[in-house]
Amino acid sequence: MLVAPGQKVRSRVAWRGMNSLVGAALFVAPLLVLVAIWAIVVPLFNVNPRIFPSVGSVAEAAVAAIGDGSLIRHIGASMLRVGLGTFLGVLVAVPLGIAMGVSPAVSAFLTPLFRFFSVLAGIAWIPIATLWFGYGFGAIIFVIFNAVFFVVAYNTLLGVSTIPMTIRNAAASLGAGRWALLTEVLLPGALPNIVTGVRTGLGFAWRGLIAAEMIATNVGLGYMLFVARDFYRTEVIVLGMIVIGVLWLFIDRLLLVPLERATIERWGLVRRT
Amino acid sequence: MKTLSLKNLRKTYFDPYAGSQVTAVHDVSLDVEQGEFVSVVGPSGCGKTTILNMIAGFIPYTGDEILIDGNLVKGPGPDRGVVFQSFALFPWKTVLENVGFGPKMRGVPKDERDRTAREYLALAGLSHAADRYPNELSGGMQQRVGVVRALANNPAVLLMDEPFASVDAQTRMTLQEELTRIWQERKPTVIFITHDVAEAVFLANRVVVLSKGRVLDQIKVDLPRPRVWDHLIEDETFKRLSAQVLQMVRAA
Repeated sequence: MLVAPGQKVRSRVAWRGMNSLVGAALFVAPLLVLVAIWAIVVPLFNVNPRIFPSVGSVAEAAVAAIGDGSLIRHIGASMLRVGLGTFLGVLVAVPLGIAMGVSPAVSAFLTPLFRFFSVLAGIAWIPIATLWFGYGFGAIIFVIFNAVFFVVAYNTLLGVSTIPMTIRNAAASLGAGRWALLTEVLLPGALPNIVTGVRTGLGFAWRGLIAAEMIATNVGLGYMLFVARDFYRTEVIVLGMIVIGVLWLFIDRLLLVPLERATIERWGLVRRT
Repeated sequence: MKTLSLKNLRKTYFDPYAGSQVTAVHDVSLDVEQGEFVSVVGPSGCGKTTILNMIAGFIPYTGDEILIDGNLVKGPGPDRGVVFQSFALFPWKTVLENVGFGPKMRGVPKDERDRTAREYLALAGLSHAADRYPNELSGGMQQRVGVVRALANNPAVLLMDEPFASVDAQTRMTLQEELTRIWQERKPTVIFITHDVAEAVFLANRVVVLSKGRVLDQIKVDLPRPRVWDHLIEDETFKRLSAQVLQMVRAA
């Protein structure tokens, strides 16, 4: 069948829209099943609300927390920290990763260090961060920065070193100088790895954030969980856990996945899974 | 006028597998006139790709000198356009942006370099693919982009390193015919590296046979143009020249 190019693209977009709708439904269905089981099991076994809350009480807690503005305040505080820490981490990690990736000797020397610190990234830094920065904003930003920095720098370095030499040679033979090589070749060439690094790093940062907020602050989602525990408010704890999980899914699905799709999938640098 | 001049080129590598120095290029001297199409043919390991990489400036050369329009080669530069076997297109740039990359590096404004790029894409019959990304094209189309990307930068010499070795046989013949057509229209100076004897003879004005890092012989190819496989495949001169080159390559 003969199809005009524009038509083909449009039908592909429509198909993708349908597909993402079906995908969303398939993604949400198991979570709804889980909620249904929860709604049945808690009254059935008459579970003590100090051990685990009912669906209804969590919903009430949600309405109350939204109503008095506390939930938005906690979410806002957590998002600000994770946003700022990630921004700083990426800002420092990408140029450094590229600089190191350009030299094989430097990258070979630093790779083990980066892998070591990638594993350490996040929670393990909390105790020493509170010693250095005190309890509060600084310590938490430091923990998130750490979680993001090492993973992104390592992935950037990896990304730069996997750009084929022929592509760098091609740029040089077309007249690209150092700066053009950086902006036109190394940065876009490493982008698939950078995005992977940011996704992984943000995942670490999100977990690190919750842990750090339990210890080092008086506002944020981690703090909300931790304080509720002192009053046996299991419905607030579970609400917080749900919010943490759902927020992460939104960050990943609405921010990182579309970024990946818009750039590197189009370029054919990663296969769609 | 001499566009390219190689004088007593040599190259010795340290081979980590053999644990010793290996000489890839012994002593190669070669002059190429402006607008000449020279094929360099030889078996694998004869040093042909090493020579090309030295001319391109990708590896440091040893020996007396490499001159482009009388200037000494120091590293890669836009006076030598390179077409790679692996295409080496920028996957993150559209076809138009790939072809306009050289002019962009020279600081040509966007309107003008887009116009140049479109003109060269038309030359290769690729106008319809301007806004696509390389991974959306077939291998043959990608290499057409590779050729015009190098040409659009108006280099003094076009260096082609087995550019058609990784496409299928039918596409290869089409690309070879297109290359001779483009050469006739634009008359670029070309060094074409290949191990395919028929390809070397089909394309060139002169075939340089390389063996063990030395120039074994050179043969002038006076076949009429335009060159088309349908005519040449039965042509007596073409068959004689190919046989002659093949004999030298095999004896090498």
